[in-house]
Parts: sequence; C-alpha cells; structure tokens
Amino acid sequence: MSKHQYAMVMDLNKCLGCQTCTIACKKLWTDRDGTGYMYWNNVETRPGLGYPRQWDRIGGGWKDGLLQPSPLPTMDDYGHAWEYNYEQRLYEGKKQPVMPSPEPESGVNWDEDVGSMNEDENYFFYLPRICNHCTHPACLEACPRKAIYKRDEDGIVVIDQERCQGYRYCIKACPYKKIYFNEVTGKSEKCIFCYPRLEKGQVNACAAQCPGRLRFVGILDDPESPVHKLVLVHKIALPLFPEKGTQPNVFYVPPFNPPKRDNYGKSIQEDPRVPLDYLIYLFGPEVKDVIVRLEAELKKTQEGGRSEALQLLIGRDAETRYRVRPQLVQIQL
Amino acid sequence: MRTRQFVITVSVGLVLSTVWAQTGAKPAAGQSLPVPASSASADALLNGGPGAWSQIAVKHVALNRTPPLYDTDEPAPPEIPSLDVRAARSGGKLLFQLSWHDPTRDAVTLAEVPNTPPETRFRKVPTEADDRFFDAAAVMFPEKSDINTIAPSLQMGDAEHPVEIYYWNATRGAMVMQAQGRSTTKRTGKPFPASSSYQNDRWNVIFELPDLAAGTTVAFAVWNGSQKDRDGRKYFSVWQVLE
Ligand code: SF4
Ligand code: SF4
Repeated sequence: MSKHQYAMVMDLNKCLGCQTCTIACKKLWTDRDGTGYMYWNNVETRPGLGYPRQWDRIGGGWKDGLLQPSPLPTMDDYGHAWEYNYEQRLYEGKKQPVMPSPEPESGVNWDEDVGSMNEDENYFFYLPRICNHCTHPACLEACPRKAIYKRDEDGIVVIDQERCQGYRYCIKACPYKKIYFNEVTGKSEKCIFCYPRLEKGQVNACAAQCPGRLRFVGILDDPESPVHKLVLVHKIALPLFPEKGTQPNVFYVPPFNPPKRDNYGKSIQEDPRVPLDYLIYLFGPEVKDVIVRLEAELKKTQEGGRSEALQLLIGRDAETRYRVRPQLVQIQL
Repeated sequence: MRTRQFVITVSVGLVLSTVWAQTGAKPAAGQSLPVPASSASADALLNGGPGAWSQIAVKHVALNRTPPLYDTDEPAPPEIPSLDVRAARSGGKLLFQLSWHDPTRDAVTLAEVPNTPPETRFRKVPTEADDRFFDAAAVMFPEKSDINTIAPSLQMGDAEHPVEIYYWNATRGAMVMQAQGRSTTKRTGKPFPASSSYQNDRWNVIFELPDLAAGTTVAFAVWNGSQKDRDGRKYFSVWQVLE
C-alpha cells in the first residue's frame, strides 16, 4: 500500500467521444519509435469491442488470490497502423482515390458509435480508459524482474525502463490490457498518470485538455479533493470491472441517461436507456445503488433544492475538478 | 520413534547429496568439458563454419526444461533435449560452438531506427508485432572464477557468487549480462563477438569469450521463441567443468 493515492473520476454522462484526451496523451507520451499503436489513454464506444478488441474478455487479474491466465493480445487486436497513398494522388497525377494501406481491419475505436445495434432503439456511450494505477496491481505482481513499482508517495504505477526486459508477463496479467510492448526498444510501456506534470502542480494532460470537463483528479485520501468527495462521500463513482480484483483507482460516474420515453415521473431504473444488466456487467451490482443516489440528487434539484454532488459533477472550474498542487503530497491527512 | 529417526537420516542424506551435485565441487566425470587448443585462429573459429571446428570433439550436454514458473503459463513440452557443445582455446580467447535442433527459426530483422530524434521525423519505426519471442542461447560462468570455491547457484548465481552471462538472441544480437541471483540480471551494454547460422532445422551459434582457466564451471541455456521462452522459461544445463 502506498502512503497516498492519486485517483481520477470520469463522469461518463459528459464524455463527447471527441478523443481530445487521446491526442493530448499521444502527442505528449507516445510519439516515439515503436509506440505508434499505443494509446495510454483511449476512448472506446460501449457496447463495443474496445481496444485491444475484446480486452474485457481476454483474461488477467485476480481470482481467489491467484493471477488469472491470459494470452497476449496480437497486433491484429490492436489494429495495424496504415498510411494513405497521398503521393500517388497529389504528386504523381494518378487518378486513384485516396486509400489507406494496408487495408484497415481494426483500430483504436474501430466500432465508433456503432453501439448496441438494438433494433428498437440503439444506445451507446463513450468509455475513456487509462491505466487504473491499481491498489493491488496484477501487472506488478506478475513481473519477475520487479521492474514495475508503485510509487510510495502517490500510488502511481510505473515501469523502470532500465530493469524491464520485455518479458510481457505484465501485459498478460493486467485485466485492462493497459500495458503495451514496444518492439523497437524491447520493453513494455504504460500510462504514468502524468507524474512529471503533477509534480509541477499541473493536472494530467488528458484531464487538462478534455473539453467535456468530465475528469476529476486528486488524492483519494485527501478529504478536500473532488475524487475523495465523489468516491467516498457521495459514493457516486465506481471502478470498472471490480471483480477483476486489482482495486482500480480510476472511477466512473455511470452513464445516467434519462428514461427512454419522456415520462418525468418515471425512475431511470424502470425505463433505462442503457440496460441495467450492461451497467452491472461494467461496474458491478453496486451500480444500482449509485443510480438510486444520483436520482435522489436530481430530484432534490428538480424540487428547487441544491445538490452538492451535482454541483461538483458540473465541475465549473479547474479548482473544483482538480487538487494536484505538489504540496498536497505532503499534507497531513 | 525409530521410524521417524530413520526417515530424518535418509532425507538429510538426500539433501546433502543434492547440494554436493549442485555445487560442482566434485563434478562427475561426465560433467567435464574438454577444451583443446585449436590451430585455427579465433577469427577463423568465430566465422569459419564447420571446417574450423571439425577437429574438435562434440560434447552432448543434456538440457532440462525449467519447471513451470507461473500457474498462468501455458505448458511447454520438452522439445530440445540436448545441446552439442564444442569448446576451443585460440589466441587468448575461449570459443564455444553451440548447436541444437529446433524446427522453428524464431528470428526477424527489426527495422533500423534512424539516428535522428523521433520528434524530427514524420514516420516513426513501428512495432510490427507484440506477441513474438525469439530463439536465444547463453553461456554462464562465475565472475570470480576461483576454481576451488563452490560453483554459484544455477539460478543466475547469488550475492556472494555473481555470474557473467554471454547472451545471444537471434533478433537482438549478443550482449554481456551480469547477475547475482534470480531476477537480478542486468545488461552491461557491452556486446561480444558471436556468429550464428540456421540450417536443416539446427541452430549453430559461436560465442567468443575471454579465456577462462581450466576448472572453471560453465552452464548453458537455450530459449525457444515458438514456445514463448523468455526469462527463466527456457532449457538449461547443469554446470560443466572446463578441462
Ligand atoms: S490497470 Fe493494469 S497496468 Fe494499470 S496498475 Fe492496474 S493492473 Fe497494472
Ligand atoms: S477529451 Fe474528454 S470529452 Fe473528449 S473523449 Fe476525452 S474524456 Fe471524452
């Protein structure tokens, strides 16, 4: 257990699927040789295949205290990078249409906006994903080189590039498939929760750039931090796939859509837009309690009251959404 | 009570004999490795192919498959039972020729990384595959080769008995490593001369080491990429004593 733990909350009701976070992360951290296919932050459409495809069914994580088997995802699962024939079209005067090559077969949000393909009424929402900086990281446990460590001062999980030998046991072990292998360097890489930025008092790049303002960052055990309030006080944010046993420190406010048919008296649970079973699949059975709590807060405001939880979720300014000043690491909690 | 004492005596005896066998303080005759001086030069041995080595007798070294390391690992049947080793001294060098049967050649040529910083280039060198592992082999010997001390642990030595590992990888080339026990291996960044060829389902790899005194113990290892070998998931020999 680390002394303190940075955490992130993402309110899925506000995600636009614009991928600004993805690009912010990509340009900052994975713009080097061998990292082309890597997205330390990705936003996938749910329901959907995800990236790498079917990652939620591949394996990894814990069961009864034991690491679970998992194959390595392949490049076909991540999607191979492709190029366009611009030269031929633009400079060589060939009248071909601009075409990608090799022919794309999968990608980082391949089934964007496809959703449930429900005949009556389609539904989908966006799920941004980063490494969860788990409290009980399967990746760390699986590394025979002890190249992965959890920083004592802030709980951020990082890979020592000097010690890593590219064995990839970590990739197999992570149930979220949030470690990537760089074949050019022969080492594995992962999200570092922007610790070099946090140490300077700047919030994570994905959070800073997000126009949806749905990311909240702070130290979980700091009672003043928004993540503490959302996760531990208001209890309206849950980790993804809690049953995988790694105790993630990225939490989600589940998509809280209005009832399907415009019936104001109705509870969302009576007429859910996103089937409850699917939310239970993603966030565990506790998601029902979270929806009850969110509905109660909504009711409060509809009746002219004030909801501290919803005010927080609106997250008007950076002061509300983040508490990352470096001295926070040293505060007495 | 008597039965119990008997059991204890027997098991202590077993432990002692195991330790004895492992330390190599008195190796069995079969575990010694002849090292004739060769009339061929070190370069000829390194590059010369079978001709340069034909005079030197082959020692068949039995390989063991490491037991499964993790419950989550796929099983790997023993496919490479032995290694053919030839050793020779020439020009102040010690050369080993390792040859083994492996029906799959697990090696690729990785794209060369240009010498310019990636941020100055539009196209970066891609990761072509993330799930392949490559064939490899290694020669390990104690860093302090005092022939009178016990041989280090076969698991990459230990704190008192650090080891040097000359590691060759079919894709990533040859590099010298050091270790002081399992999971402590580190790359020194130093290459060493090696050559390799693959023909008729066999690898033939030649290692050039600094000269090691007679009586030094050496151990060998082979990794089979198609069996997803890496780390301690490999084939290994027990210590052999150089003659
Ligand atoms: S999400 Fe995966 S990579 Fe990140 S800490 Fe957890 S187990 Fe490790
Ligand atoms: S930047 Fe924000 S709104 Fe856009 S996809 Fe990322 S998390 Fe969603």
